[in-house]
Amino acid sequence: MRRTLTGLALATVLSAAALGPAAAQDKAPIKLGTALDFTAVYTFVTAEYSQGQRDYASLLNAKGGIKGHSVEIMVVDTGNQPQRGIEAYERFKNEGAVLVDFLSTPVSRAVVPRALADGMNVITLFHGRSDAADGTVFPTIFPMTPAYWSQATAIVKYIDDQEKGDLKGKKIALVMIDSPFGREPLPVFEELCKRLGYEFSAFPYPSPGNEQSSAWTQLRRFKPDWTIIWGAGGGQSVSVRDAISNGIPLDRLASVIWLSETDANIIGAGQTKGILRFEGVAYGKDLPVIQAIEQEVVAKGKGAGPAEKVGGTYYNIGVASMALFGEGARLALEKEGEPLTPAKLKKGLESIKDFTADGLLPPVTITGEDHQGGGRGRIAAWDGSKWVPKSAWAPAYQDIVWDLIHKSAEEFKASSK
Amino acid sequence: MFYRLAGIRHTRYAADRQLWPVPVDRAQIAALTAFAAAAPLLLSNLYLGSYLLPWIIWSTAALGLNLLMGWAGQIHLGYAAVMAIGAYSTIHIVRAGLPFELAIIGGGLLSAVIGLVFGFAALRVKGLYLAISTLAMQYLVDWIVSHVQAISGGSQATLQAPAFRVLGLPVAGDMMRYYVALAVCLVVTSFLLNVGRTSFGRALAAVREKDFAAAIVGVDPFYFKLLAFWCSSFVGGIAGAVLAFCYYRAVTPEQFNLDVSIQAVAMVIVGGLGSVIGSYLGAALVLLAPIMLNNLVAALARAGALPMSEEVLSHIPLILYGGLIVGFLLFEPLGLAKVYDNLRNYFLVWPFRHARR
Amino acid sequence: MDLMYFAELAMNGALVGLMYALVALGIVLVFKSSGVANLAQGALAMVGAYVVWWLADPLGAPLWAAVVVGILIMFFFGRAFERLALRRMIGQPVIMVIMLTLGTEILLRGSAPALWGAQMKRMDIGIGQQPIVLGDMLINRAYLAGGVVAVVLIGLAMLFFNSRQGVMLRAVSDDQTASWAVGISVERAIGVSWGLAGIAAACAGILWGSVQGVDWTLSLLLIKALAVAILGGLDSIGGVVIAGVAVGILENVIPGYIDPLVGGGTRDLVASTVILLTMLVRPFGLFGREDIERV
Repeated sequence: MRRTLTGLALATVLSAAALGPAAAQDKAPIKLGTALDFTAVYTFVTAEYSQGQRDYASLLNAKGGIKGHSVEIMVVDTGNQPQRGIEAYERFKNEGAVLVDFLSTPVSRAVVPRALADGMNVITLFHGRSDAADGTVFPTIFPMTPAYWSQATAIVKYIDDQEKGDLKGKKIALVMIDSPFGREPLPVFEELCKRLGYEFSAFPYPSPGNEQSSAWTQLRRFKPDWTIIWGAGGGQSVSVRDAISNGIPLDRLASVIWLSETDANIIGAGQTKGILRFEGVAYGKDLPVIQAIEQEVVAKGKGAGPAEKVGGTYYNIGVASMALFGEGARLALEKEGEPLTPAKLKKGLESIKDFTADGLLPPVTITGEDHQGGGRGRIAAWDGSKWVPKSAWAPAYQDIVWDLIHKSAEEFKASSK
Repeated sequence: MFYRLAGIRHTRYAADRQLWPVPVDRAQIAALTAFAAAAPLLLSNLYLGSYLLPWIIWSTAALGLNLLMGWAGQIHLGYAAVMAIGAYSTIHIVRAGLPFELAIIGGGLLSAVIGLVFGFAALRVKGLYLAISTLAMQYLVDWIVSHVQAISGGSQATLQAPAFRVLGLPVAGDMMRYYVALAVCLVVTSFLLNVGRTSFGRALAAVREKDFAAAIVGVDPFYFKLLAFWCSSFVGGIAGAVLAFCYYRAVTPEQFNLDVSIQAVAMVIVGGLGSVIGSYLGAALVLLAPIMLNNLVAALARAGALPMSEEVLSHIPLILYGGLIVGFLLFEPLGLAKVYDNLRNYFLVWPFRHARR
Repeated sequence: MDLMYFAELAMNGALVGLMYALVALGIVLVFKSSGVANLAQGALAMVGAYVVWWLADPLGAPLWAAVVVGILIMFFFGRAFERLALRRMIGQPVIMVIMLTLGTEILLRGSAPALWGAQMKRMDIGIGQQPIVLGDMLINRAYLAGGVVAVVLIGLAMLFFNSRQGVMLRAVSDDQTASWAVGISVERAIGVSWGLAGIAAACAGILWGSVQGVDWTLSLLLIKALAVAILGGLDSIGGVVIAGVAVGILENVIPGYIDPLVGGGTRDLVASTVILLTMLVRPFGLFGREDIERV
């Protein structure tokens, strides 16, 4: 059995020999492991996200790789099961991966203790533990983008700006899925409530959220001025539908990052005009990076998935994750020299400064302390066919976020003793 | 030929009642035990840590559930909840400062007590109705664990397993964790091997076959059903604690949800009801088959044999997993244990097939 | 709290409960004829929704045709499942049959997204988003339509049981051996009940798919449907209507009052508690026959 197992190599979606020009061949490829959930809870995002990652890696390889190294992404499905994630992680480690990605909160949580012990880099874009932003306690966990706490502050900041800085007496309602993910932003909203003086109330609906009428009936009695929805996948379109039914104006309804054009189209693209969402990565094809992928990868028939998904919300998040990795790896190879190891990549990622991937991302600066990359995000609105930015990239109430991060990270440190 | 049966004569009752009367079986067990003991030296960390270790822990859990389902004939669709209780309470007890050895027994006892509550449903209903009651209790426990922050560990709902010592030795590194899990597994296995030879095991079998018939011959079905729930939940709680400390090292509510309960039942059924070796084989198939199928499909895809999108490819293991369960139930309802038994019977008389009993 | 608040919660809850009852109908039909707990009913509903979406969207059939053809396909799908899988399980212990349906659920949950794509699909059956306003009460239009369809279908199922075919089904559910003796084909009757379960699944899939979109999560309807079926009595078709309304109202009203007090979603607890209480007090359900074997 052992021989068969060793025989079964992982999915190498890109083979350097087929895609990379001569320059990319003579140096050892850089390996990444992505163990994603294609089949269970995260189906709404995974396929597009992974497509974006692989297309960007193809683009890197078409341009000669990172300093001559081609990039090889290993993709495997975990079905959101921690034990499969752990198996994949150990396998990636054996294969010499320098960075792993799970895009699943339960799997990331199960792997974090191992990754910290092994010094393996884990990226958790826009999800996972918010407190992992503290690079001193989580040295090898890289959210690199605003995690949930910073997303919550960004949304409140936008509301505050719309109300001209006077939230006293205004009512903000949070409709969230009743799971650790949904409850995660609560401390932020409560903390901000003290500072800004708005009235806050939370309305949980049960997982998986296919039926939420009770929460929305309660919410209507609360008569909120602003409503925030905090869910993912199928629950999001039900939320928006119920909001419309209950007469909540959509331009006063803001969502966590997991609301995409797919959800808008399920409800009806025209009926969802005006709805707001947090955005950490620019949307659409009018970006130099996405244009380059279209020309170099998709047009040449090397795209990893359906061409119409290119430029979508989750696709661009996948591209952004690889762009950040590519920048970190380049810096690591420049400063630390060959060969790329997890420890060198960590230093490379921590020296990323004001990186925007040509407008795809807000300026991201990662340091040894701040793995969140500055916490910049913005609010975008759906105009019936695309997402239009409503505010500039900016960090919001980072002092509150960091207080929470430090507190929670301390608890983590104490608990693993 | 392989299983030389000639010349095996028992002159004492003790010899007649031993677990493995055939020398070859004893040799096999000895070889397996020796392999298990030496595994950290023979296997790489990958195979030790992510195949063998979860396998023996899940086999422990499957044995506990098999005691209830196979020996006592009660259905349990909430076994993961029982394991969760063991895992969480052991972690909390260790954090409170007690040694691990006491904590794991405490965790097991707490699981057993709450498992008894599941068992009270069995006093009232059985069959399908029992299945649905235990399912409902799984939901209740899930809800409590994930909603009470004092249990689940703060806003992140993650509890790190603290560093711990067993018999004065610090348990760190895959090797030590493996030996702890192996020791627990061996204790549970030897308990289950011997259950069938005790009056307890025979009483369970009587209750399983027909509870009021058992009552007529003087076996109290109430008492023995509860005892079966108690024992099986105790084993489940300990397995949950080992899973948390030796394998996951951090527990979250998702690690013990309904899907996990269904997996545990699948292990028992695919392995074979009332069979010790079946529990091992079932755990191997249900736990490792999706991983291996995943790797196999991925390797085939890389070789260009499966021209499909990643999305379709990643669903193939799930389809095959469901197909395996259905296929076993349709074509070999007695499970992998029966397959093993058929093989063994074949070799028992090989090459004199006509002599088969 | 005012009366309108209560009424709105109760009304929407009752309608949603009726939509759950439609899923439960499939479980009851099968249990009534063959005594098998069909834990794959949620997955059948998912397959039904996928099939209708597939006929209507990629194949471009008009909606009414897609619905009709989809329902027919699901009828034969149900029958095929019975013929190929469950008939072989006759005489096996109940746990084996439960596990078979659970295994089938996993199989379907993998196959449907693999065939048609895991991304959520849009299913528009022409029900608007705007609510119906009754005084201070808002009634969700989609739920109202769903509730009405559910009542009509359950009513049809009850009528069907008065037809010749339905009388045969009742005979089979009373006593299989006696039915055999008087020349009723028991296999055929059980097959028909599975076909009807397929139809119920298709309708439930379409309704729920139009509310939440079509993807694998439709198979999670199973738990609520089980609560409804258990409370109503596993062999009572009329029972699912009452139980559906009851579970729906409890699920909406209890969290409406308790959630603000405890600050958590108590809603998940309601279905489980209903199941447990039913088991303790009246295991055969509100309207089920009292022949369940007690210990």
